[in-house]
Amino acid sequence: MAGGIERTIGAVLRIGVVTSSVCLGVGLALSWLGAAALSRPLFQIGVLVLLATPVARVVVSMIEYIRERDWTFVMLTAIVLAELTASAVAALLFNRRL
Amino acid sequence: MPAVTPGLELIIFGVGVLAGGLGSLLGLAGGVFLVPFLNLGLNFSFQRAAAISLCTVIATSSSVSAARSGKQLINLRLGMLLEVATAAGSLLGGITAQLVAPTLLQKLFGLTTSVIAVMMLTRLNRRNVIIDPTASTGALGGRYFEEESGCVVGYQVKRLPLALTASFLAGNMSSLLGIGGGVIKVPVLNAWCGVPLRAAAATSAFMIGVTATAGAVIYYGRGQLAPSMAAAAVLGVQLGSWWALRFASRVPAKWLKILMAVVLIVVAMLMFTRPR
Repeated sequence: MAGGIERTIGAVLRIGVVTSSVCLGVGLALSWLGAAALSRPLFQIGVLVLLATPVARVVVSMIEYIRERDWTFVMLTAIVLAELTASAVAALLFNRRL
Repeated sequence: MPAVTPGLELIIFGVGVLAGGLGSLLGLAGGVFLVPFLNLGLNFSFQRAAAISLCTVIATSSSVSAARSGKQLINLRLGMLLEVATAAGSLLGGITAQLVAPTLLQKLFGLTTSVIAVMMLTRLNRRNVIIDPTASTGALGGRYFEEESGCVVGYQVKRLPLALTASFLAGNMSSLLGIGGGVIKVPVLNAWCGVPLRAAAATSAFMIGVTATAGAVIYYGRGQLAPSMAAAAVLGVQLGSWWALRFASRVPAKWLKILMAVVLIVVAMLMFTRPR
């Protein structure tokens, strides 16, 4: 039943976690070699890719449910995306107050 | 927060290996060990410790679920449904964490680890639920290949409102305390909602990535996430859980649970008596 979507999700998660781990690992190695200017952007990219991976997974699931015309689950994944967006908005608001 | 030095990053990497290893042996994300070490051991503020821990939770969730995809052990539909509740809980928890005193968070953490320790001790011999292979799985249930019995088993999800409530609570604790929240969801799904332990653990591990992201984004926006520390912790935890998954079968689960329960009780006492 869910074989296709499960594989797609697996691929998204794998790409995300490998990309972020490589960025963080190379960043850490560079910072130990004293190249802080090079490592800092890699850390930022690594963390952002890490945070974006679960979001991408929800987006991909939603697209898959739209294709299957499974409207209940399209709605559920849309709510999760709205909640994730709300936490990003909350983060920006907290940032503003500082 | 202590100054960023290669030495400190190395220590955090090592702690990550330990937390990730112990965590995956016990079916946890490891945050429950990482947070107290960063907070009490290395003097990170509670929020900074939680932020780093949430990053490791996301990484664990992504890599474990990627490895399990295609095996039908993760109940995607149940996971996506319960995520609505965990993400809402996590969003509220992340905002609350910015508004309450760190000492209160420490007490809450102590309370949570005490409860986990007691649960571990009372569930020492519990391995799985009995499943009727002929039963209908309903709209949210699932089927998967069980290695122990060598056949495909099915299950039905019961008491959905309870599962949703537990998920909301788990999401809330996740972003407040920097843990995954599986310690709350998995026992509830297993004991009361009819989900076999393996499926419950896999589905929970799948969900905690989204849960932790909703919380981590708020810490990140607030500037409480030190990227190089997160890098060291994430890589350490990844290495630790990879190592544990390869050698997990050789460790007797019962003694490990007793040992961990003792560690958690000590953590709880430290959190109560040494507020910073």
